Amino acid sequence: MRSSVHFKLLAAFMLVALLVAVMGAMSLEIMSRMAAQSEGMHHAHERVTAARQAQHALALQMNYTAMALILRDEETIASILKENNRLNTMLAEIENAAPAEEREIIQRIRGAQGDVMATVADVANLVRDGKVDQAMELQLKSGYPLFRQVEGLVELVVRIEEKNMAQQRAATARANRHAFYLMGGLVMASLLLALLLGFVTSWSFILPVRKAQAFLGQVAKGDFSTTVTVDNRDEFGELAAQMNRMSAQLSGLYEEQREAARQLETLNTQLARASQAKSEFLANMSHELRTPMNAILGFTEMILDEIYGEVPPEVRGPIQDVRTCGQQLLRLINDVLDLSKIEAGRMELSLTDYSVPEVVETARTSLRSLAVEKGLEFTADVEPKMPLAYGDGKRITQCLTNLVGNALKFTKQGRVAIHARREGDEVIYSVADTGIGIPADHLDQIFGEFRQVDASISREFGGTGLGLSITKTFVELHGGRIWVESEPGRGSTFYFAIPLRVAEATEVV
Amino acid sequence: MSQKRILLIEDNEFNRKIVRDLLARQPYDLLEANDGEAGVAAARRDRPDVIVMDIQLPKLSGLDATRAIRADPDTAKIPIIVVTSFALSGDDKKAMDAGASAYLAKPYSPRQLLDTIRKMAGDA
Repeated sequence: MRSSVHFKLLAAFMLVALLVAVMGAMSLEIMSRMAAQSEGMHHAHERVTAARQAQHALALQMNYTAMALILRDEETIASILKENNRLNTMLAEIENAAPAEEREIIQRIRGAQGDVMATVADVANLVRDGKVDQAMELQLKSGYPLFRQVEGLVELVVRIEEKNMAQQRAATARANRHAFYLMGGLVMASLLLALLLGFVTSWSFILPVRKAQAFLGQVAKGDFSTTVTVDNRDEFGELAAQMNRMSAQLSGLYEEQREAARQLETLNTQLARASQAKSEFLANMSHELRTPMNAILGFTEMILDEIYGEVPPEVRGPIQDVRTCGQQLLRLINDVLDLSKIEAGRMELSLTDYSVPEVVETARTSLRSLAVEKGLEFTADVEPKMPLAYGDGKRITQCLTNLVGNALKFTKQGRVAIHARREGDEVIYSVADTGIGIPADHLDQIFGEFRQVDASISREFGGTGLGLSITKTFVELHGGRIWVESEPGRGSTFYFAIPLRVAEATEVV
Repeated sequence: MSQKRILLIEDNEFNRKIVRDLLARQPYDLLEANDGEAGVAAARRDRPDVIVMDIQLPKLSGLDATRAIRADPDTAKIPIIVVTSFALSGDDKKAMDAGASAYLAKPYSPRQLLDTIRKMAGDA
């Protein structure tokens, strides 16, 4: 049978309440019995009193009879009658509810008393007639023995009543004792039962809770192999079954999740391998591209240096174009190589002392011809008294060259200006142009890889979108920061701040 | 006095030709080797005045060849110009650690190479 916790608790409390009710009923019963006993005692006492009064009345009667012989007055004789009446009244009182044996004795008393009263009447008449001697003789011979007889009988009644009373008293005492034991027993039984019920009920709750606790502890540790067994056919049993189902489900989910994690890990490894392969491929390609680039640029330079003889003026131009394009291609190859190194996490700075004016001058020199070609004003100025800086001068030069190259690329007319100034512990480089500018909603994207404002830009201006991303990485490797201010149509200013003395290369993810 | 001898250790024919053309009108004799092992052997045999060493070489890398030349007391003092196509931060340090006397990143300017050779040969 299924019984709920509710039912169990209710049953236990009801049982205890029932015991209290039974105890109450028994107390009432005992009280009413004791009241009856006490009533009986009272009765017995009254009867003993009545018997003694009858005895007393008889004694007085004898006394008055004797007095009548001496005093010979009517008043004393009347007193005899009065005591006789009292004796009768008492006897009547005792006779009421008396046992048969006693009633018989009382009948005998009545009979004898009748004789006594007849004798007393005769004595009284003899006294009235003045025959005192005869009266006295009658009294002595007949009256007195009769009195004695009645007295004996009355004494008997007194004894019977006293015996009754003693019996009654003993019975009452027995009943009291009995009631005491009964109530005591009942109280003890109630206490024991209540304790037993409490113990059984509470353990029937505590055990499943403890089991559930241990079980949940195991589950929390990730051990789904155990189950919890609760035999209760109540809410606890149901809870345990539910917990087992939950554990099974959790186990399934846990397995699924682990499987998913394994798959993710495998995928991750594959991705990492693919990324590694890509980086290595890019590095190799860059290297393979550089060897012919060296030859192309080398031969071009030697032709222009006229190592092979005089260069006709109409050929010099196209050969210069070959050199310019070759240098452009070289920059792209460098960018790709840098990117592959950055992606492979193998980009390291080579920290040495370097000169800020030299960095600015190198960037300016390498791009001056492009500015001249486009007819742009191109200036560079460095704050005087700039101290020697510490960092990767080549990379910082590369950053500045990237920014200046972009500025020249996106500026059709006006000017491009490089500034370098010291601010506290930092050197702040800036490249300002009067180019096409960058819309505000693209400002935060332009430092990402392969990012240009839109596809039409790359069609019109070319470029891979690698330069800014690489520049940002180098700046951050130096523990610096890069930012841009721009107004579409008016121009852009790119800034980057590098610590004057770099402590050590900062990890860039 | 005979002309100073420059040993070029380089596996790419076009890059060898650049140096060959560059030095054609210069007062130097050019010796050539195709790989690291041949380069080390040539250095021992010919005792050149300056060695121009490519870093990426078959059989024995430029760095290992440089170390080998430095390890041999007969060739230890010959100036070595290491040329690399990696041009990465740290490569110059590796070259210097291996015992290079100078370092040039590819693509180099022939003019710059000539200046370096002159300096190393004590002609600058």
